[in-house]
Amino acid sequence: MTDSRILLLVLALPFFGSLLSALLPRTARTAAGLVAGSVAVLATALLIPFYAPVARGEIVRLEIGWLPTLGLDLVFRVDGLAWLFAMMVLVIGALVVLYTRYYMAREDPVPRFFSYLLAFMGSMLGIVLSGNLVQLAFFWEMTSLFSFLLIGYWYGNRAARDGARMALIVTATGGLCLLVGVLLIGRIVGSYDLDVVLASGGTIRSSPLYLPALILVLLGAFTKSAQFPFHFWLPHAMAAPTPVSAYLHSATMVKAGIFLMIRLWPIFAGTDAWYFIVSFAGLATLLVGAWAAIFQHDLKGLLAYSTISHLGLITLLLGLSSPLAAVAAIFHTVNHATFKASLFMAAGIIDHESGTRDMRRLSGLARFMPFTATLAMVAAAAMAGVPLLNGFISKEMFLAEALDARGGPVIGFALPVLATLGAAFSVLYSLRFIHQTFFGPPPTDLPKVPHEPPGWMRRPIEILVIACLVVGIVPAATIGPVLQSAVRSVLGAQTPTYSLAIWHGFSAPLLLSMIALATGTLAYFRFRDALNRRAGPPVIARFKGGRMFERVLADIVRRARSLEGLFGTRRLQPQLRLLVCLACLAGLLPFLQLGYATGGLPVTPLDPAFAVIWIVGGICAVGAAQQAKYHRLASLVLMAGAGLVACISFVWLSAPDLALTQLLVETVTTVLLLLGLRWLPKRQPEVWPDDRPPARVVFRRSADLGIAIAAGLGAALLAYAMLTRPLPDTISRYFMEQAYPQGGGRNVVNVILVDFRAFDTLGEIAVLAIVALTIFSLLRRFRPASESIEPPVQQRMQDAADLHAGGRRVGDTKKDYLLVPRIIMEWLFPVIFVFAIYLLVRGHDLPGGGFAAGVAMSIAIMLQYMAGGTRVVESRLRIRPLRWIGAGLLLAVVTGVGALAFGYPFLTSWFRYLELPVIGKVPFGTALFFDLGVFLLVVGATALMLVAIAHQSIRTPRARTPARPDVPPVIREEGED
Amino acid sequence: MDFSTSLALIAPELVLSLSGLVLLLVAAWAGDRSARVVSVLACVALGAAFALCIPVVSGGLAGPDRIAFDGQFRADAFASLAKLMIYAASLAALILAPAFLERIRSMRAEYPVLVLFSAVGMSIMVSATDLLTLYIGLEMQSLAAYVLASFVRDNTRSAEAGLKYFVLGSLASGILLFGMSLTYGFTGSTAFDAIGVAVSGELNTGALFGLVFVLAGLAFKISAVPFHMWTPDVYEGAPTPVTAFFASAPKVAAIALLTRVLMEAFGGQVEAWRQIVVFLALASIVVGALGAIGQDNVKRLLAYSSINNVGFILIGVAVASTQGVSAMLVYLAIYVPMTIAGFVAVLMLRDGAGDPVERIADLSGLSRVRPAVAWCLMIVMFSLAGIPPMFGFWGKFVVFQAAVQADMVVLAAIGIAASVIGAFYYLKIVKVMFMDEPAGVIEPAGGQPGNASLGALLAICTLMISPFGFLATGWLGALADRAAASLLLLA
Repeated sequence: MTDSRILLLVLALPFFGSLLSALLPRTARTAAGLVAGSVAVLATALLIPFYAPVARGEIVRLEIGWLPTLGLDLVFRVDGLAWLFAMMVLVIGALVVLYTRYYMAREDPVPRFFSYLLAFMGSMLGIVLSGNLVQLAFFWEMTSLFSFLLIGYWYGNRAARDGARMALIVTATGGLCLLVGVLLIGRIVGSYDLDVVLASGGTIRSSPLYLPALILVLLGAFTKSAQFPFHFWLPHAMAAPTPVSAYLHSATMVKAGIFLMIRLWPIFAGTDAWYFIVSFAGLATLLVGAWAAIFQHDLKGLLAYSTISHLGLITLLLGLSSPLAAVAAIFHTVNHATFKASLFMAAGIIDHESGTRDMRRLSGLARFMPFTATLAMVAAAAMAGVPLLNGFISKEMFLAEALDARGGPVIGFALPVLATLGAAFSVLYSLRFIHQTFFGPPPTDLPKVPHEPPGWMRRPIEILVIACLVVGIVPAATIGPVLQSAVRSVLGAQTPTYSLAIWHGFSAPLLLSMIALATGTLAYFRFRDALNRRAGPPVIARFKGGRMFERVLADIVRRARSLEGLFGTRRLQPQLRLLVCLACLAGLLPFLQLGYATGGLPVTPLDPAFAVIWIVGGICAVGAAQQAKYHRLASLVLMAGAGLVACISFVWLSAPDLALTQLLVETVTTVLLLLGLRWLPKRQPEVWPDDRPPARVVFRRSADLGIAIAAGLGAALLAYAMLTRPLPDTISRYFMEQAYPQGGGRNVVNVILVDFRAFDTLGEIAVLAIVALTIFSLLRRFRPASESIEPPVQQRMQDAADLHAGGRRVGDTKKDYLLVPRIIMEWLFPVIFVFAIYLLVRGHDLPGGGFAAGVAMSIAIMLQYMAGGTRVVESRLRIRPLRWIGAGLLLAVVTGVGALAFGYPFLTSWFRYLELPVIGKVPFGTALFFDLGVFLLVVGATALMLVAIAHQSIRTPRARTPARPDVPPVIREEGED
Repeated sequence: MDFSTSLALIAPELVLSLSGLVLLLVAAWAGDRSARVVSVLACVALGAAFALCIPVVSGGLAGPDRIAFDGQFRADAFASLAKLMIYAASLAALILAPAFLERIRSMRAEYPVLVLFSAVGMSIMVSATDLLTLYIGLEMQSLAAYVLASFVRDNTRSAEAGLKYFVLGSLASGILLFGMSLTYGFTGSTAFDAIGVAVSGELNTGALFGLVFVLAGLAFKISAVPFHMWTPDVYEGAPTPVTAFFASAPKVAAIALLTRVLMEAFGGQVEAWRQIVVFLALASIVVGALGAIGQDNVKRLLAYSSINNVGFILIGVAVASTQGVSAMLVYLAIYVPMTIAGFVAVLMLRDGAGDPVERIADLSGLSRVRPAVAWCLMIVMFSLAGIPPMFGFWGKFVVFQAAVQADMVVLAAIGIAASVIGAFYYLKIVKVMFMDEPAGVIEPAGGQPGNASLGALLAICTLMISPFGFLATGWLGALADRAAASLLLLA
């Protein structure tokens, strides 16, 4: 009995070996070889006992619960097919390790090579032992990754780098397709477990997702197994060290695709789609590969194309969908692995010992390395399908299947002919390989004097060649049972009866086989000189997959770059434009989809006067936007106009409290902006070559105008549609109804501010204070740019006039020109102050309140600054904004805390009417204190900002010649100490 | 709902905001000398907030008990899982900063404070169950982010990045606000559940308008195509630690927020928004992959890669099922360490003058100059390309699986085609690092300050996305499943 947990050990061993090898020092060739070799041998030894249950037709499974919710458990299973493939991977792996030890040069970092090789071996084992399709796809991609590292091992070589990258991109892409294919299968079957999937072939074939799943899985298999038209990566991968080629292109990597097709054969095969796609791909690969192989001059190139061709043969067999063909496919897979591995190793020896792989330079090597020559000849004969060798038997089966193929007279006739043609090509290139390399006159201009390799380097080939011979002569006694168990694990009840023997009597396949042998031999001797002169294969030379691949990649790069150049931009304006356009588009889409409908609310008829006001406001707003570029002052004034229209609208719509607040806020912001504007650098006037902007600019600006109109119109339409629908039930009604009973005020806005939402207000005034402080601290050290220091044009003109006029000194006009306004404003100050107090006191019931009062008060202060100048004002008034802010905040908080003292929640207000002498009955509430706090804070904050801006005028400007005599000393500023 | 219960539910946010405020005062009084101390304390605060979220996530808590402030805020497992990622990424941003900023004398005590405030904003975003809460969180995060982008203010590129981010972000924010007000206007509520009730049944035209604008505004925040233009510029210009932050934490927050808006508020109208999300996903995947090709700056490349990743994440959202949301969360959990590792690796590379190296060509032969960094970067690149055995594969797998289960095969197929293009470019970087001759620009590892913490961070992140990550799949999947279930519980 075998413990299924050993499977995990078998799988883990190569990865452990890989890690161990990676940790070895760079020069530890032998130690790394020993690690790798013992891993391969040990894993083989562990796997061998599984043959007993497998031969009985059992499936050994090991399940490790992982993610049951996703239907993912780690499942390792071994049946006949998996066992056969795993043994192939391990045994040939062990032989390759032995070979590598002698192949690699002393200066190569061999431990790294073995590390990659073992990891690759582990991934490959993972594929064949996986009992879960997702897991299989995972290991599949891992083989792509490690083959990349193996092929690119000699990264100093450009061909190796490119070949590695190409192999990875092609096979990893296929792997991703496979992944989705697997997910589709999982979707159809409801499980990724291989046994479940294999049992539901009927469900899969009748599913509408069958075709997509089939195509995706086949894309994975075809890319991996180098099937036409994805075969181009394989020859490029020949830049790898020869042991890599011997391993990847015989028993592993390319066989992964074949393995997958065999594995899924029971569920996918039997439909027309499978038949046509797979057979066609296989046939095309078989012929294209063989044809190209004939014309190679590089030994490894020839072997690469012959590999492609043989893989095509196997695929074709699988495509034929008959059980017998499947048997032949499995059998040929094993045979091909044996002879191709030995041939690659032989080619490596030739390269190693003679310094070249060019068949045109090689000749007569049999004299120098008779053993190697003999081994290579036997292996090549197996590849050509010469009797008494394993290749012959499977090729016989192939030809027999080609003869039996279904599908009408054309296919029925064409397939045997093409199959024979392929076989003949195979004979031709095998013969060329042997004859040109080992026979003929001694070589003349080789880089090295050829000789036999060390005995241990030849041992792997000897073992493989003996296997070819033994299987070729007594197939039934050697490979027979193993093959049978593999076949049964795939075909199950469909397993046909077949006989493995070299002699089946005189039959049609034998005839075709002989024809192929003869034709191939004749053709070689007829054309061999012509072959040596040709640079590439005729007919298909134009189709260079590798170059097309590179070109497509280069094309993608170029296109992507040009796309980025076209659509990408680093400039802000186009990005903004794009964002607005996209928003418009986003708004347009539902509009097109669902149409536009206004709601059912009756529309109030429009008063013409009101309309005129709004038109004026609109013009002001548009003008402000337009002038923002050319004339900031005009823009600001226009903006104020638009704001004023908003105030009027509020009055019109019976919201005097809002209107008042809006008006005051408008005034303050306009004035503050005005003061700040002074210190901004002037805009450069536009200068165009012929005094008017070029067409490009005009076009851009008109386009922007169009975008703006579209966006504005869209927003307006949406707002209109929303406003004509019934209003959602909002909280405002509650406030309207409860303002007087609960807050004791009729000015709802004020009641909300100081009572219902007093907590919010407290937060807001705190923020306002912070903002003021921030502005102050930002502007505290600000020195205006030197170009803003110049006195304005008017002032300069006046100064010049003063200079020239008799009896006046420079600055007289400046001193006097605001005389009348200044006096008026000084007189106004107490009036506004009283007005502010009035607003504050009456605010609870009538338009007004702390905020409005505060803003009004700030306006009074501002007017003083504007008319009198900073120094005059500050010498007469004590502006202490920080104290006001502090006092206001404190007062508001104390009012709130006061409620706590009486056992009410924070900020609860208390309200009653007081009878005052003279004045009479006045409303009185704790909210008034709170409002006073708001008032103080608003005044303080605004004044602080004002101070911050105003003090620019009395500060030494930056970047001027030091110590201008006419600059006054900086006065003490509150907050700076 | 009791006030104190609500306060208990927002404990992580409280911890962060209070520490942020206190540290701000510390920074204001003690000045930039305190930058280190403030950073360390900010890390402690983030750690505490992280710890507070763990029980919610591991318990898979959900339901009415987790609703605070009368339905304004929900601290369920979904939000808390997102918060864990956000806090972890913020922590990384704090650890990264000193090494970079101190060298150019820009390490100020405000940096950790801003990161903290940004983290609070993101926390609020992922927990928001009301349009107003959403907006407050979003703006809080964004305002801190604008400042962070221009943190090295004497560097014109950084200042430009900040300004661009601010201007474009404000515009996007305006679009979002417009969409929110339309939604409110047509549905009569700002609460997600009430909106959900209002739009269930036949689709209300106005609500669709609102939805489209809300989606557009949020798409900007997650830099989904076609609202992605700012991403490469801002990522390139912002200081690298800030870029690492931008690429990780705010992405998580905005995506979680988007998911909640779509699944809760518009969960009854999946068909209406699915096509939009699918479009965003595909466009992001394709543009992200193609855009990466043309770049020769690593940070711009990673910017496009983040756009590409957002596309994959959006596939999970488009599936609109528990499985899809779970897949999206798993993807995010892998994406965060992956992208942070990428930026940390870039941050560790210095040229002879000690200046950061950002050009891809300068990475040539990195494997011989800084082998450890090169290996980590290789793992990041393979992970980004989604090649097994790297953990990045897992994210792609779960997302594809969710898409296939929902019969969105075409989506998965196009996603694959684009990831191949992306893979091509990531491989090129691996090739440049491992197979090209050293360019001689990058200095070998030396006694650079702060390298130990960077190295540790890189090692941790790389370990998470290395094949060892697969050990966590079961655990991660269970957490994500529970979080996804908690999201859909009330929807």
